[in-house]
Amino acid sequence: MANVSESVHAHGDGGGDHGAHAHPDFLQHHFDTPVQQFNAAKLGMWVFIATEILMFGGLFCAYAIWRGLDPRVFDDAHHFLNKILGATNTIVLLFSSLTAALAVRSAQVGKRNLTSLYLIVTILCAGVFLVVKYFEYSHKFHLGLLPGHCFGHPGLSAAVQNGEEVGTCLRVHADSAPVMPEWVKAADEDGHVRLLSPRANMFFGLYFVMTGLHGLHVIVGMSILAWVLYKNIKGKFSPAYFTPVDLGALYWHLVDLVWIYLFPLLYLVGKPE
Amino acid sequence: MSAQGSHAVHAHQDDGAVHVHIASSQFYWGIFGALICLTILTVKVSYYDFGKANIFIALLIATMKGSLVAAFFMHLRHDKLFNTIAFLSSFLFLGIFILLTYDDLGNRGRVDNDYGGRFQLETGQAAPGGEPATTATSDSVAEEAPHGAAAAHGKKE
Amino acid sequence: MAAVDIPVAGGHAADAHGDPHANYLKAKRGIGSWLVTLDHKRIGLMYLTMVSLAFLVGGIFALLLRIELFSRGKTIVDGETYNRFFTLHGAIMVFLFIIPSVPAALGNFFLPIMIGAKDVAFPRLNLLSFYIYLVGLAILLVSIVSGAVDTGWTFYTPYSVQSSNSVISMTLGVFVLGFSSILTGVNFLVTVHTMRAPGCTWARMPLFVWGMYATALMQILATPVLAITLLLLCAERFFGIGIFDPKLGGDPVLFQHFFWFYSHPAVYIMIVPGMAINSELIATFSRRAIFGQFAIAMSSLGLALLGFLVWGHHMFAAGMSEFATMLFSALTFLVAIPSGVKVFNWTATIYKGSILWASPMLYGMAFIFLFTIGGLTGLFLGTLSVDIHLTDTYFVVAHFHYVMMGGTVIAFLGGLLYWWPKMTGKMHDERKAKIGFWFVFIGFNTVFIPQFIMGSRGMPRRYYDYLPQFEPFHKVSTVGSWILATGLFITAYTLLEALWKGKKAPRNPWNSAGYEWLTETVPPLANFHQPPVFTRGPYDYHLATPEELATGEDGREVSFTTQMAAKESTHPA
Repeated sequence: MANVSESVHAHGDGGGDHGAHAHPDFLQHHFDTPVQQFNAAKLGMWVFIATEILMFGGLFCAYAIWRGLDPRVFDDAHHFLNKILGATNTIVLLFSSLTAALAVRSAQVGKRNLTSLYLIVTILCAGVFLVVKYFEYSHKFHLGLLPGHCFGHPGLSAAVQNGEEVGTCLRVHADSAPVMPEWVKAADEDGHVRLLSPRANMFFGLYFVMTGLHGLHVIVGMSILAWVLYKNIKGKFSPAYFTPVDLGALYWHLVDLVWIYLFPLLYLVGKPE
Repeated sequence: MSAQGSHAVHAHQDDGAVHVHIASSQFYWGIFGALICLTILTVKVSYYDFGKANIFIALLIATMKGSLVAAFFMHLRHDKLFNTIAFLSSFLFLGIFILLTYDDLGNRGRVDNDYGGRFQLETGQAAPGGEPATTATSDSVAEEAPHGAAAAHGKKE
Repeated sequence: MAAVDIPVAGGHAADAHGDPHANYLKAKRGIGSWLVTLDHKRIGLMYLTMVSLAFLVGGIFALLLRIELFSRGKTIVDGETYNRFFTLHGAIMVFLFIIPSVPAALGNFFLPIMIGAKDVAFPRLNLLSFYIYLVGLAILLVSIVSGAVDTGWTFYTPYSVQSSNSVISMTLGVFVLGFSSILTGVNFLVTVHTMRAPGCTWARMPLFVWGMYATALMQILATPVLAITLLLLCAERFFGIGIFDPKLGGDPVLFQHFFWFYSHPAVYIMIVPGMAINSELIATFSRRAIFGQFAIAMSSLGLALLGFLVWGHHMFAAGMSEFATMLFSALTFLVAIPSGVKVFNWTATIYKGSILWASPMLYGMAFIFLFTIGGLTGLFLGTLSVDIHLTDTYFVVAHFHYVMMGGTVIAFLGGLLYWWPKMTGKMHDERKAKIGFWFVFIGFNTVFIPQFIMGSRGMPRRYYDYLPQFEPFHKVSTVGSWILATGLFITAYTLLEALWKGKKAPRNPWNSAGYEWLTETVPPLANFHQPPVFTRGPYDYHLATPEELATGEDGREVSFTTQMAAKESTHPA
């Protein structure tokens, strides 16, 4: 980097010649060497990851505050989430993280088809994650376990109200005006009827915002990986230049990382039976 | 954890090209295995009650998993130090955010118990010199409410 | 003097990006070449245009506010419109003007040049950030047209949850502007880390770059929290998730925590760039190595860190726990340390310097004076007991205007005059610039000194009407706003006039040792004809060669060949 007159050796297929000096195609005009460009891209991605963590961090802060002030509510409410589905999704995401890492590795050693394969598997796993999430969400909608003033809304909890015992339980208020609901009883994921504090709307509010924002990131991640896949099929990458694969995978690992924390915080912490 | 099998190119030539540490496929699978074990562990542990430690145990296991992902899947272990610093600093500032915010919300009405109309957060009782508490905390309501009544089987799913 | 036709190593001949040796203003022509440019200098100028327009619009709202307050009761608008005016004045000035002003306009232009880079690390992100800024601006305009917001720029709940629907478009606009800010921050941080030219070590890095670096850190770490805050506010409006709503078990003061966790660092995002410019002005016009360069650099980082620890001082009277107020108050006093370090070091630099009273230096001196007032009155407000009396009075208004306007805007104007020759290749009329300065300086103090007095006597801020005893102060303040506006128009005219009537600018009109003055006026597309190698610090007047310090009437770049030869003999390829 210090020596400006050195020539640049690109491995593989790079090395288009602009003017007097060797200058691989992928090297942007304002960088001196591929390694400078690579380091800049990596640092940029890591800094971006830091911003993402702080953005999710706001939600974790809200979680910490309200759980800290009212642990009992969160204990009760979290039984309405399905641990098994959550764990399944965790494993799906971890596996997709593995394939993303392997995609980067294949790109580093120049196995293009293998890179494509791993990227496809990663995107498929993301799809599976979203499908599972869809079932979880629709079940919650069904029960009326919704954030804020939609919580226990009559139209959304009809199925529950038909039940004899449970019907009297889920708090139903005639108008959807945001008033503090009362204590409600409802059957949780294990079939136990338990009391749900009026503040449980806070838990479900956070649940939906946190997993919703995460789901949005899953969709963005899928699009990024699909773009990387397209470029890879077109043969843009080589052992000398695999930065987009690396960065796309980093983004995907971030999505995984956020879920690694969301899963226990939403599904697992609290008093067991 | 599997040994760090790798065939990294550690030639120290300063030719401006990108040289990175490349771990073996088996190594990545090994990390994945460890992550799965930890996931199973965290689910298993959730069926035992450790009281207030529940959340810390869950977070500890999550942090172990997160560290594995960051260090190996995300290559931080062999990356530039500053990338790690950038990554970790986000947690530092998040910690500042949560702690100082909690410092307010967790301590409301605590210091000036002697002024009127306050109750003690911990017990819900009137503070010395204050008026009797009129607002009940959700905890005290929960004491009165019946808990775990007859289960409504088969009403859902 | 460098021969321009030396073959340039590492670069390449004319390609899609244009000839790297051509004057950046002329490398490509046509409006289209500006709209898709990846050149940081052009993007900086486009930003400069937009932030100047934003400043004009925000300034017009300020003048309208002052006219309304000229007399008691209704003067020109009714109370509701008044509320909208101050909201728009605040939101436009904060989000559209001050936050992007110095970093995105001047920083974009000069940061790469001052570290000897050809461009920022991610030129496309840089352009994207500009367009995101435009989108945010458009959304804000929509919210103004569709019935302006009257919440104040802080969007406090619960009012922002209940008031008109344009709050949504307003928050969305601010959300989008936040992304623009984050992209600029990421770009600067990576540029500083990876693109510094040989010899531009951390120890030698210009203080303007240090300031931009500290600003970037804050933009990166704080702005995402604003994004999530505004998302939660929208969620609160649409679904009533209840986190900020006491009726649903939430807490409105929690919103203030979220908001100020961003917005207090944002205050430093606004002022640290002003300090960064001022360090350059003071060093150049005192013709001296800046006193305590390392201390000033570290104090920028110190401010960046402390900015994250003191947000609670905006909420002393909002019902926070007493425990937290004491902690935040104590932490707030720490801010005085890095601020003091800067002021004392600038003063020490001026001491026994050979001062050139050019127009930028007038602004530099005014910065020290006005920022000191703004900073010291901050200590009043950080003191719990005094703050109870002063909260939400004109004292607060005057305090932050002394910091934001007396600090950042003054430094921004100084920086514009200082760098205008390098940016445009034209010299402005110094006499007019100085007249403009005195109008600005006198006008500014006339506006805000009465506000300190009113505030300490209990005049609340944001009020449409006031008691008779405040009338003289309001009248003086309004008259001051006219003087201030006159000064700003004179300054703007001076700068614009230079574009068509100004003399051709020399390479180094202020005889500075700074790195940015080594390159040609106007800088070539690649910033330097030869890849620069720095062999001394940017304030080392004792090491700078006479050639480097010379005015350089022909505008040609200083030669780096001798330094490069020396470098290569010690580090053979």
